[in-house]
Amino acid sequence: MPHKKRITCLAALIVVLGLVSGCASTPNGDPGDPYEATNRKIYNFNDSIDRNFMQPVARGYVNVTPKPVRSGVTNFFDNVGYLNVIANDLLQGKATQFLSDTGRFLVNSTIGLGGMFDPAKEMGLRAHDEDLGQTFGVWGAGEGAYLNIPLAGPSSFRDAPGFVAATLLNPLTYLNPIVTLPLGVVNAVNIRANLLEATNIRDQAALDPYTFVREAYRQQREFRIYDGNPPGDGFDDYLEGEDDSAILRIY
Amino acid sequence: MTRTSVYTAIAALVMYCQFASGAENLEASKTVVEKFHANLLEVMTKADSLGFSGRVDALDPVLAETFDFHTIARIVTGKHWKTLDDDQRAEFIDVFEALSAATYASNFDGFSGEVFETLGAEEKRGNILVKTVIVREDDDPVTLDYVLRDNDGMWRIVNVIANGVSDLSLKRADYTAVIKSEGFNSLVTKLSGKITGYKISN
Repeated sequence: MPHKKRITCLAALIVVLGLVSGCASTPNGDPGDPYEATNRKIYNFNDSIDRNFMQPVARGYVNVTPKPVRSGVTNFFDNVGYLNVIANDLLQGKATQFLSDTGRFLVNSTIGLGGMFDPAKEMGLRAHDEDLGQTFGVWGAGEGAYLNIPLAGPSSFRDAPGFVAATLLNPLTYLNPIVTLPLGVVNAVNIRANLLEATNIRDQAALDPYTFVREAYRQQREFRIYDGNPPGDGFDDYLEGEDDSAILRIY
Repeated sequence: MTRTSVYTAIAALVMYCQFASGAENLEASKTVVEKFHANLLEVMTKADSLGFSGRVDALDPVLAETFDFHTIARIVTGKHWKTLDDDQRAEFIDVFEALSAATYASNFDGFSGEVFETLGAEEKRGNILVKTVIVREDDDPVTLDYVLRDNDGMWRIVNVIANGVSDLSLKRADYTAVIKSEGFNSLVTKLSGKITGYKISN
C-alpha cells in the first residue's frame, strides 16, 4: 500500500475508533480509558493474533538467529527511524541532544554500515528516545483517552499521531514496496522478539492482562516524556491519603 | 554569649542533627537494598543447586526483613483495604509475600555475570529513593529504583520501579480491577494460582 494511502487509512481508523468507541464507553471505569469496552475487544483481537502467529514466529526467529545478528537488525531499524528522534529533539527545544543525535545518525549511517553497528555509542553519542507523542506531552498535552489500535497495540489520542509522523520521517517509506514490505516483516518480527521478555513478565504476573498492559504503557510513556524523571504516576484518584501519595509519586 | 548567638547555636545544632540523621537514613536505606541485592545474587549464583523451592526458602526471610508488606498490601488493594477484616488482611499479606518470593525465585533463576550497582540515595517527600542498576553482559542495563519508608525506625522497601514502571502502581491497578469485578476472594484465589503457576513452570 502506498504510504499516503496507508496514512489515510490509519487516520480514518483512529477517527472510526473514536466514533465506535464513543458508543461503548464505560462511565464507571478508569477515567483515562473511556473506550475500555472497545479497547478490550481490540486487545483480545490483537492478543489472539499475537499468540497464534506473531509469538511463535518471533520465538522461531530468536532460535535460528544469533544474538549479534538480531542486535544488528535492531540497530538498523532504530537508525533508519532516527530522523524522527532528531525532528522531535528540535520540536522539544533540546539543542544539545539535537546535535548529538544528528552526529549519532551520521556516524552510524556511515561508519556503522548503514546503522547495523553502533560505533556512535562508543564515541559518547548515546541513543535517545523521542517521538511526536512525547513532544505533545512536553508541550503540555495530556494523555487523552487510552486506545488499543488493531495490529499495533496500546496508544492514546496524544500518542497515535506519532505513528504517522514516524512513518513519514522514515526513509524506507519512500522506497519501492518490493523492498519495504519484506523489510517491514523483518522489523515487525524483530520488534516482537525484543518484547518477548516483557510479555513473559505480563503472562506470569498479570491477573487482568488488559489493565496490566494499560498501566505499564502509561507509566512507560510518562517516564519517557520526562526523560526518566517523571513527577508522579497520576494515581491521585485512587489514593487513600498523603502517605500513599508520597510513595507512588516518588520522583 | 548573647541570647541571639545562643539561638543561632541551637538552630545550627538542630540543623546539624537533622542533616546527620538524614544522611544516616540514606545510608540505612542503601544498606537495606544492598542486603536484598546480595541475597538475590547469592540465590542467582546457586540457582541450580537450590532449585525453585530452595530459592523461595532462601529469599523468604530476606524479603520479610527488607520489605514492608503491610504497607504494600494496603496500597495495592486501594480503597478496598478498608473493607477487609483482620483475617482477610492477614490472608492477603501471606499470599502476597509468598507470591513475591515465588516471583523473584522464578525470575532470578541463574547467573550470567550480572552486577548490581547502587547509584545513590535521596530523600523524597518523606520517603527515600535508592537508585540502582543491574548491569548485564549481553543485554541492556535495567534500572531498579527502590522506594523505602520509615517503619518504626526501620527503613523498608515499599516499591520497586523497574525501567520507570512502578511495581506497586501496576499491581494496584491490576488487583483493584479484579476486586471490583470479581471480589476479594477471587483476587486471593488468582494470586494463589499464580504461585502454583510459578511452581509448575520451574
